[in-house]
Amino acid sequence: MGKAIVITSGKGGVGKTTTSANIGTALALMGKRVCLMDLDIGLRNLDVVLGLDNRIIYDIVDVATGRAKLPQALVKDKRFDDKLYLLPAAQNTDKTALKPEQVKAIVDELKPEYDYVLIDCPAGIEQGFMNAVAGADAAIVVTTPEISAVRDADRVVGLLEQHPLVEAPRLLINRIRRNMMQDGTMMDIDEITHHLGIELLGIIFDDDAVITTSNQGEPIVMDTDNPASQGYRNVARRLEGETVPLMKLEDQEDPGFWHRVSNWFHRG
Amino acid sequence: MQAAVLRGTQDGYDLVIKQSASLDQVMVDLKTLLENLKADAQAPTEQVSLDVLTEDRILTADEKHRIEQLVGQYPRFKIHKITANVMTIADALQLKERENVHLLSKVIRNGQDVHMQGDVLFLGTIHEGGKLCTTGNIFSMGNVTGILQAGYPDDESKLVMGNLQTAQQVRIAEQFDIVEQGELTASQQTVAYVNDLHVLSYGNLDQLKKINPKLYNQIGGI
Repeated sequence: MGKAIVITSGKGGVGKTTTSANIGTALALMGKRVCLMDLDIGLRNLDVVLGLDNRIIYDIVDVATGRAKLPQALVKDKRFDDKLYLLPAAQNTDKTALKPEQVKAIVDELKPEYDYVLIDCPAGIEQGFMNAVAGADAAIVVTTPEISAVRDADRVVGLLEQHPLVEAPRLLINRIRRNMMQDGTMMDIDEITHHLGIELLGIIFDDDAVITTSNQGEPIVMDTDNPASQGYRNVARRLEGETVPLMKLEDQEDPGFWHRVSNWFHRG
Repeated sequence: MQAAVLRGTQDGYDLVIKQSASLDQVMVDLKTLLENLKADAQAPTEQVSLDVLTEDRILTADEKHRIEQLVGQYPRFKIHKITANVMTIADALQLKERENVHLLSKVIRNGQDVHMQGDVLFLGTIHEGGKLCTTGNIFSMGNVTGILQAGYPDDESKLVMGNLQTAQQVRIAEQFDIVEQGELTASQQTVAYVNDLHVLSYGNLDQLKKINPKLYNQIGGI
């Protein structure tokens, strides 16, 4: 029996979909069977990020309303040899097309087949959020080190505490800019974690390659050397119960003597 | 024994309704009593206000109405209030709720409103956008970066105490203050109160006697 994890944030644009795609891919690379569910109905993106957008035949609303069977709607990611599947969102309707019970029924049907069912939650705390949370056993709350994202994460944690899932929500801090955090111009990791009062699952460094790879329909986790990729891989390992230390802010390479000299000339 | 007895007190007249008698009996006796008083030529002519005491019996709204209607037929009398020695468990619980100091130790997150009755000793944390609202006073020992409201909805005699420096707003009854940066010091001794001009202002704990003598007496200050 697998575990259903909802990836949520409250605020839009913090990287829920990217996180879902990458954690899912990382788990699949570890040999786990993963099903990704896109609940952002009407604004589906997860398929695009995974590069599976042209393979969609049926979607989750088709399954919920009985127009298609669940296996028919699942899109297989051929890169991962039967490990990674996507249940796409519908694009021609909106969040009210689904009811929480329908989503729960689909999740319950998927859980015995997969090790992980990752649910990509839409932004906001309305119907779409309720749908996404309905079938989940655990939650990952994604935030960025910005006050607006942290506030919304706080709101979402509050909602999750009111309707507790099997496991307490865990925090993922995305898009960390090492230089800004080091010189104290960005909210600190400890500060955010302490403020929200939930367990920290992982931190992801901001990296340009996340955008370029996502544009190519290939999650960043495929690139083993990338720091963002390492962050997602660590998260996947922690989900599996391993103890993995947090990545260090300081381990950015020393710019080197000549680089510093040239910087010095470029100043002003 | 009469089921309805008129009793003179220093403040006026009490109409005692015996708890042992049935209400029908009370109605009969009350009518007789009122008829006799009406016939009594020596009685004073000005209107008499009655305090109805029902002993250990709680009258329903319907029963009260019957008594009021009967007395209403005699223009010389009017009912001031109907009181009993007892109260319902629901009322008692509400009273207990209202009069007690409640301990509250939880995280009030963005978007959460916690409504309480009575005084609150707050030991938790209020995040930005969270709100703690009570009918009584708030004594805060926790970390507050949200909104505190005492004396909800309209009791301006209530106070908010504790470190309010980081709070977003302090509200007492209908008065509120948006706590600006640098307005308050990080002191656990801050007291927020509504002054005589109905403006929310801040003082220190050592001025409590002046700010609110009633509360000061209640907590046993000398």
